[in-house]
Amino acid sequence: MTTLLGYGTIAIILFSIGVIGVVARRNIFVMYMSIELMLNAVNLLLVVFSKLHQDMDGQIIAMMIIAIAAAEAAIFLTVMILLFRSKGSLDSDLFIKLKPEINR
Amino acid sequence: MIDIFFILFAILAIGGAITMITAEEPMYATLGLLISILSVGGFFALLNASFLFMVQIIVYAGAVLTLFLFLLMFLNIKKEDLPHEPKKYMLITLGAVLMIPINMLIFKALSTLPNIDMVLVESDFGTIKALGMQLYTEWLLPFELISVLLLVALIGVIVLAKQKSKKEIKQ
Repeated sequence: MTTLLGYGTIAIILFSIGVIGVVARRNIFVMYMSIELMLNAVNLLLVVFSKLHQDMDGQIIAMMIIAIAAAEAAIFLTVMILLFRSKGSLDSDLFIKLKPEINR
Repeated sequence: MIDIFFILFAILAIGGAITMITAEEPMYATLGLLISILSVGGFFALLNASFLFMVQIIVYAGAVLTLFLFLLMFLNIKKEDLPHEPKKYMLITLGAVLMIPINMLIFKALSTLPNIDMVLVESDFGTIKALGMQLYTEWLLPFELISVLLLVALIGVIVLAKQKSKKEIKQ
């Protein structure tokens, strides 16, 4: 059960759920969380391969992905506050223009 | 014993992820993602990556997801602010069907690799000391660049948050 194929299957399924979440949902919060889930699936696969080759480089790359995801989260949440304040909704279809037209 | 934990984490990870993409309320979606991320952390523990397990729990579950929950409570999102998605389940099912061929391809590629058993062994692999040695010798430049990236993100967030909207400037 705990073989490379088992862990690989879990990672593939998590990644696919992330892709479906980005494509099928219109809530920007859920879309962002799907991206986080995809990053997690990639991290899992990196750690599995690091164990397979008995090489720690995969784990270091996974750690860097976590650091980048933290930086991304900070920027994304700030942008989210600005978007929600300007439109008052979480619908991604409202944010087709990247201009801050607040008075409309 | 490890098999039981593996199955448990697998069910929790996939269940949490499915909860996340189907939930209507953003709060429930965040809690689903939290369960999923903690289960991935459990997988890290099963794979001898003890330091990464800690980082996952402290940084992801402790910082990023808590920030998310905090923001959701801060924004005070009401039912009418959420997008209207009548065809949500149909689109998710369609997406799942479309993802099957790609998944089969990746599965086929993975099955050509040596299918060794990932047993949990008592070793130096994945501990803080071993990872730190690697990080500060071979990966020193990328590690320093990460700190620059975090600084850029910090400055960017401050610039964005200080921006005044047109309405506020007019008043």
